[in-house]
Amino acid sequence: MFTGVLSLLEWDLTSPDRSFVGLDNYRRLAEEPEFPHALTRTGLYVLAMLPFATVVPMALAVMLWKRPGRASDTYRSLLFLPVVLAPVATALAWRFILDPLGGVVNLTLGGLGLPEQDWLGDPDTALWAISLITAGKFVALNMLLYGAALASLDGRALDAARVDGATEWEITRHLVVPQLTGTTVLMSFLCVVFAGQWTFTNIAVLTQGGPDNSTDNAYLRLYTYAFVFFDAGTGAAAAVAIVVLLTVLFAVSAPLRRRHARP
Amino acid sequence: MTGLMGRIRGWRLMPAVVVAVGLLAACGEDSTPTSTSPTPGAIPTLDSATQVTITFLSYNYGTPGLGGQGTQALIDAFEKAHPNITIKPQGVPVKDVLTKLRTDTAAGTPPDVAQIGWSKMAEAVEALPVVPVQQIPPEAEWKEHTAGMSPRILSAVADDGLVKSMPYTMSIPILYYNADLFRAAGLDPAKPPATIEEVREYALAIKAKGSEGVYYAIADTSKSDFLTQSVVNSNGGSLVGGDGEVTVDSSAAVQALTTMQDLTTSGAQPAVNSDSAVAAFNSGKLGMLVTSTALMAGAQKAADGKFELRTAGFPAFGDKPAKPTYSGAGLAVLARDDAHKRAAWEFIKFVTSEEGFEIITSRIGYLPLRDSVATKLADTPIMKLLEPSISQLDTVTPYTSFNGTKANQAVVTLQDEAVEPIVLRGADPGPTLASAADKIRRLTA
Amino acid sequence: MPGHDRRPRATAAAVTRHAVLILTVFGMLFPMLWALSASFKPGSDVYGASPLPMPATLENYRYALGEFPVARLLLNTFVTAAGVTVLHLAAGLLAAWSFVRFAHRGQRVVLGLVTVALVVPPQALIIPHFLMVARLGQRDTFVGLIVPQLATCALAVLLLREHIRAIPPTLIGAATLDGATHAETLRRVVLPLLRGALGAVAIVVFITTWNEYLWPVLVAPSPEHTTIQVGLQMFETQEGPEHGPLLAAAMLATMPVVAVYFLASRRIADAFLQSGLR
Repeated sequence: MFTGVLSLLEWDLTSPDRSFVGLDNYRRLAEEPEFPHALTRTGLYVLAMLPFATVVPMALAVMLWKRPGRASDTYRSLLFLPVVLAPVATALAWRFILDPLGGVVNLTLGGLGLPEQDWLGDPDTALWAISLITAGKFVALNMLLYGAALASLDGRALDAARVDGATEWEITRHLVVPQLTGTTVLMSFLCVVFAGQWTFTNIAVLTQGGPDNSTDNAYLRLYTYAFVFFDAGTGAAAAVAIVVLLTVLFAVSAPLRRRHARP
Repeated sequence: MTGLMGRIRGWRLMPAVVVAVGLLAACGEDSTPTSTSPTPGAIPTLDSATQVTITFLSYNYGTPGLGGQGTQALIDAFEKAHPNITIKPQGVPVKDVLTKLRTDTAAGTPPDVAQIGWSKMAEAVEALPVVPVQQIPPEAEWKEHTAGMSPRILSAVADDGLVKSMPYTMSIPILYYNADLFRAAGLDPAKPPATIEEVREYALAIKAKGSEGVYYAIADTSKSDFLTQSVVNSNGGSLVGGDGEVTVDSSAAVQALTTMQDLTTSGAQPAVNSDSAVAAFNSGKLGMLVTSTALMAGAQKAADGKFELRTAGFPAFGDKPAKPTYSGAGLAVLARDDAHKRAAWEFIKFVTSEEGFEIITSRIGYLPLRDSVATKLADTPIMKLLEPSISQLDTVTPYTSFNGTKANQAVVTLQDEAVEPIVLRGADPGPTLASAADKIRRLTA
Repeated sequence: MPGHDRRPRATAAAVTRHAVLILTVFGMLFPMLWALSASFKPGSDVYGASPLPMPATLENYRYALGEFPVARLLLNTFVTAAGVTVLHLAAGLLAAWSFVRFAHRGQRVVLGLVTVALVVPPQALIIPHFLMVARLGQRDTFVGLIVPQLATCALAVLLLREHIRAIPPTLIGAATLDGATHAETLRRVVLPLLRGALGAVAIVVFITTWNEYLWPVLVAPSPEHTTIQVGLQMFETQEGPEHGPLLAAAMLATMPVVAVYFLASRRIADAFLQSGLR
């Protein structure tokens, strides 16, 4: 809509002069290395966090579901906590822990005689560090969502299998997991949508996209164009590009999601 | 917004209405001129019966700590001295100053006075309706007020001899050092290093005893280039040439950054960002720290009872003169009518008076830009620590800005794509600066 | 419900299971526990490898409380989060209800649009939102802070629609026969049945809004209206950040939510488990 119109203008957000530049902003977006780079990095974030959005929370949810009771309820409450904790506070906590000179991680590594590492300051590790920090939230939320899916499973089939002498592992592997495929597809999709958004706060607090733009992501780039460099047109073009990409992804994945949707 | 509420009767049109109103408002905005031409005629004193309220945007206001307390003290003292003028302070996170100024100006409600960092000042003056502060009072009054102020600083911030924004919370780079770590490394704390070559030597001696050596906060996390400029200028170079051309990739600049890089590769300097380094210095793990005097009060507090904090002037390159540039902030006036402009001037006049600088220096730790204040406070601990910078005030060189409204983006490019990779991660200085220079030339063309 | 496992080796399995879960919990909460401990450390001990604050001090908390409007920021955050949640529920419910009750030909198209809106990230809308709010003079107000965050209510609409569709039409039909108006049917029949789903949506929206960072930074940067997430950034001053008080403030920002969460955690988990979210 309005974003689309904006993306065709050259405008600094505030001054009265703005000029129509057609698709120039899009051309610049594609030609300058920053935005394609930011998209690639966003893709890497998604890949890094995908296991934490699917396999890990699924395993936790199944574990908790198999043994209902007080203990499981307590675990569930504790595991959900990362979603509740203020993200800026979590990010700050990590900054202290990962500090290259005085952080506990490096002091411990150094104490053990292992090589120390500037986890957030090294372009080779920073993105993975941010992904891992953000992954906690995916694990926490998705564990509950898997739990919701498990709660609606039919227990009788499982009991029947037990009577037939199947081991718990076999039951999980052959009866439970297949029924969760629909949820897994949805979780993967949500991971794609939210990976960029949820890493934003951590990036903003911890690395501002650096070092060497290695922790950049598409939303941070959009924000930088629009509100740091006051280049509203390019920012809007980035927004349109992101939406188009996600919509295409959504449309392409539709058959997959439909196949696994439960009646 | 796309059709979210589309099916609800009555609500259906809401998004469209909101957009339409937004666009109409946008169109309305276009016809009103946003820049007021500066009135050349000076504005006389306000009648004491006239009540004026002015807004003051400050990134210190409301922050926890010394900056917030000191700013409040300034406002309180001013309001006491000027009962007819009320200050309505507005806080803003330091990195959002330009965003807020630009958007408030667009909405027609700019603050009357704004505290703006020098690295963003050029862009602010270019993009916003800033009234040159020197033109508000009659010439005689201006002369009388600025008579006791550092002439070097005033001429450094002036643009063609005209002071557009008033030097306020000013700082210059200084060498902080931990005298205890000096002694542990067999160095004499009474003889701090004066040149970068000595700094390197001292740092390696400290490093050999198990602490970190030195840190030049040149890859500053707040993405200001004041230390990059100080280093390059002191090596006889510059970032911007006399005709405004970009000289980021000149041989003097390349050489200066190569020297910085060598500090890291030799082990004299840890390859970390400035936040970690400052924290390490404050907890007594780093021997020397070269950064702005703005951190003085904090360092003083951290060192108290823990280690002996001392300071020395900004180190030179060999026998070339040290040329530190300033950082910190100036006050710009964006008031639109005469009464508010005059009230804004009264406020600026007060905070840069003897009484004002006394508060600024003793409460926040910025440099007193008046000799009389420096003399008066001479016996206070903070003034003793600031002394090397006061002696260096005469060597201060102007902070140079890139041309145009994308100056800030150019600075970020320089810091992120050249300075940080070169100094912290061993990027090849020549080619890295050359490619950053190309990009900056495109941005500032 | 799966039956209990009574075979041997069950103890070993149980031990492993508890070990895995405890380790996971610890791993996920480690940063916060560390920060909590560090917030009691004096001055520059904040950095360092000691797991416990020795000596411990409340100085950081005293400083943070004295210098930093924690209460005000928390109140701002609460008002914003509550406002967004209520609006989300209201808009979601009304939209979902009208989808189900007033089916018509354009339905599929509109529904498709809503589904697409689900993938439109709020970040992609910040520029137009920002401009609207700025033009309407609503920067640094709760209205400006709250209303644009309604843009993400597509999830609420779709989810509630599923649930309303699952209500047996006979129930609604009966109410209509009794002469109930739409509003009455909605209030007396639909609302009670949707309690679980509404609860789950409310929780998700509330937490998301509470934790939102980007929008408050842009639209309400001043301490009078901004949220705690942005407020914490005010410790990043030009005069050197105060790390101990910063951590203390971060803890103060977190604790109220954690307390509320523990009070209601059972209910929250139940709301999810029964919501049929999938």
